Amino acid sequence: MRKQPLFPVQCKLDLIRTRDLPETSNMYTDLRIAVLVPVALTLAACGEPQPQLGFEESLQRQLIEAQPGDVISIPAGTHELTRGLSLNAPGVTIRGAGMDRSILSFRNQIQGAEGLLVSADDFVIEDLAIEDSVGDALKISDSDNVTIRRVRTEWTAGPLETNGAYGIYPVQSSNILIDGSVAIGASDAGIYVGQSTRIIVRNSRAEYNVAGIEIENSTFADVHDNVATNNTGGILVFDLPNLPVQGGRNTRVFNNRIVDNNTANFAPEGNIVATVPAGTGLMVLANDNIEVFGNEFANNDSANMMVVSYHITGLPIDDENYDPFPESIHVHDNSFSGGGAAPDSEPLALLREATGQAVPDIVWDGTMVPGKTAPDVLCMRGNGDADFVNLDAPGGFAAPIFEIGPHDCAGAELPEVSISTEP
Amino acid sequence: MIRSLLPVLLPALLLAGCGEPRFFEQDNPPRLSDWNLFRDDGARLIPREKTLVFAPANPLFTDYAGKLRTMWLPAGAQARLREGELEFPVGSILSKTFYYPTGADGVLLESANHENELDRQQHRMIETRLLVRREDGWHAMAYVWNEQQTEAFLRVAGASVPVSLRRESGIEDFVYFVPNENQCAGCHVTEHPDGSLRPLGAVPDQLAAAIGNSGSGHPAASGNSDAFGEGHSSYLAAMRARGWLAELPSQLPAASWEDSEANLETRAGAYLDIHCGHCHNPDGAADTSALVLDGAHRNTIELGVCKTPVAAGGGAGDLLYSIHPGAPERSILLYRMESSEPDEMMPELGRSLAHTEGIALIRDWIAAMAGDCPAPARAFGAR
Repeated sequence: MRKQPLFPVQCKLDLIRTRDLPETSNMYTDLRIAVLVPVALTLAACGEPQPQLGFEESLQRQLIEAQPGDVISIPAGTHELTRGLSLNAPGVTIRGAGMDRSILSFRNQIQGAEGLLVSADDFVIEDLAIEDSVGDALKISDSDNVTIRRVRTEWTAGPLETNGAYGIYPVQSSNILIDGSVAIGASDAGIYVGQSTRIIVRNSRAEYNVAGIEIENSTFADVHDNVATNNTGGILVFDLPNLPVQGGRNTRVFNNRIVDNNTANFAPEGNIVATVPAGTGLMVLANDNIEVFGNEFANNDSANMMVVSYHITGLPIDDENYDPFPESIHVHDNSFSGGGAAPDSEPLALLREATGQAVPDIVWDGTMVPGKTAPDVLCMRGNGDADFVNLDAPGGFAAPIFEIGPHDCAGAELPEVSISTEP
Repeated sequence: MIRSLLPVLLPALLLAGCGEPRFFEQDNPPRLSDWNLFRDDGARLIPREKTLVFAPANPLFTDYAGKLRTMWLPAGAQARLREGELEFPVGSILSKTFYYPTGADGVLLESANHENELDRQQHRMIETRLLVRREDGWHAMAYVWNEQQTEAFLRVAGASVPVSLRRESGIEDFVYFVPNENQCAGCHVTEHPDGSLRPLGAVPDQLAAAIGNSGSGHPAASGNSDAFGEGHSSYLAAMRARGWLAELPSQLPAASWEDSEANLETRAGAYLDIHCGHCHNPDGAADTSALVLDGAHRNTIELGVCKTPVAAGGGAGDLLYSIHPGAPERSILLYRMESSEPDEMMPELGRSLAHTEGIALIRDWIAAMAGDCPAPARAFGAR
């Protein structure tokens, strides 16, 4: 073994500063090989203390050393990454050259539960793609003022149980804008906003996910002008028990195209979305104050729209603060066509058999707090010739009610959601 | 002009003569040797005399690597106990060198003993992590040892080091991950995200560990104990003897998952606390899951008993509950400990290998748990 003095006195102290960062390589590099080569071993000489960093290490280092106001550019090309990236510094923008040009590919990922993990306020990510991460593609937690614009998250081998759970995944965050983005192939939800407040999801496309777009345990969300197609369930608005943030309410779902969400459920068992029947257009579960209008529902083969309580999952509830019942759901001025023809759910399939008809467009499980009435839960007007069923879940599905009349009421119109980045 | 040179000159002057570690108050120097934490006679890496070699009461598993930990406080400075927390003075340096014993054929071995110094003939050093207490708080960084084992270099973005390890089951090839600085914060910032970085091992109940306790393998209060004429009962006492503490606090040591005298419940709680609690606490990064594994056991659903997963994805392993009492094989907690898939395994950081002994402990604990979870009716379920 070659011996070297540990304290070569001729060495200057080469302190590391941000400006010494090497330029990010624009070239495609097979980092799986590159990072495994111990770069540091060539550095024994005093004059050159810094390893020549490859794209991956250089990018991660930029993310660590970033200062507020920095723009980190992702050049065009497919960049292979082996470890999850992370950003904790506030005020940073990550910008690519286009969601089909700048691609962060994690197909060879060997560490990290996410592609990119962000916990940083005033964060902007735009014009790039995150592909084939082993877990979630883009997770953003505990962050305020989050803008995700023209970002694509995709698992490129199609809908597989082994795909990561979430594509675009802000959680416990606020003032979130997801605009013009695309999410494909998530084994849970393509665009998932959880335990958050002040949210806009718009002009985006979700396909071949289990849930296309999911708003969960969140408040004040506008979900509009999106396309949700070929998912198991197109759009889900859920409130679940035993979470630090619950009481999901005040979401508007409007002007979306929610069509052909008939992909077989490929979520790993145990996760709540694994209970969502294939062929679900929109499902509202245990949320309050939801306004659904101006949407086009078509050909969702279990039912175009469902309003259900948490009890429908059959899961136990051990949370005294949790309200499992949906209330003040206002559905108006939507168009419905097709759907309900091949329900992937036992009670819906039995209904289909018994009636010989497709499952109606709008399905309510019929559960409510004692003392409440049907219009307290669900008001519907102006939905063309949409049909309806109250499944009578509390009565064991024995006496479903098809009259829409009890729900002919003027529900509340909710105010537009404003977020601080779009005042 | 002179002012601007000071930060460069001062450490350079200190470099000249003494065997003291060197504190950099602003920037992280590129080489581990710049810190002067170790004496090196070519054959061995030896902690400087004034450092304290220590080991926590309840250690964390890191791919069967051995860990040589040192603590150093600047001359005349003291740590203070405030509200049960140990506050280190500016200039304090904690180091942790991860190493494997080397076998005859160059294959690395699981570490069984705590070493007070590292003989290069018998050990391969992988990385040395530092926690440095500066004016604005703790800073974390990792230095990665070169192939020749002559120097370790700062790697802000971490590193991936291929390792072949001889285990009972045969030789296991894996990639050992040196954390990047954000990943350091992933564990050492226990109040997510606005809390500050803090030590996890150099805390009062961990340092209350008995020194030289047979069985636990704790090093006798380091090779430098002679200089202080000490044979101290705990690392806190050793700190007191160095003048690093004004007085010796009365502090019980943390329960240890390795303590064969303790009952299953205590050992399992200690294991989950040290391996999971830094994220799975009520303010931690994993509070989104509402699974709380910080040893406090507030109630059973928080601990995961009959708790359905929230955002576990494939990590749920097609299982319904985090802990299914009496049924470890149906418990997500155990599934995720057994997995080495990056998106499924827990802890997410700090290991590439599954920890056989920890898995056995948690399996026994769940198996011994009374009760059952309901089978969901799945009325609306797709399957």
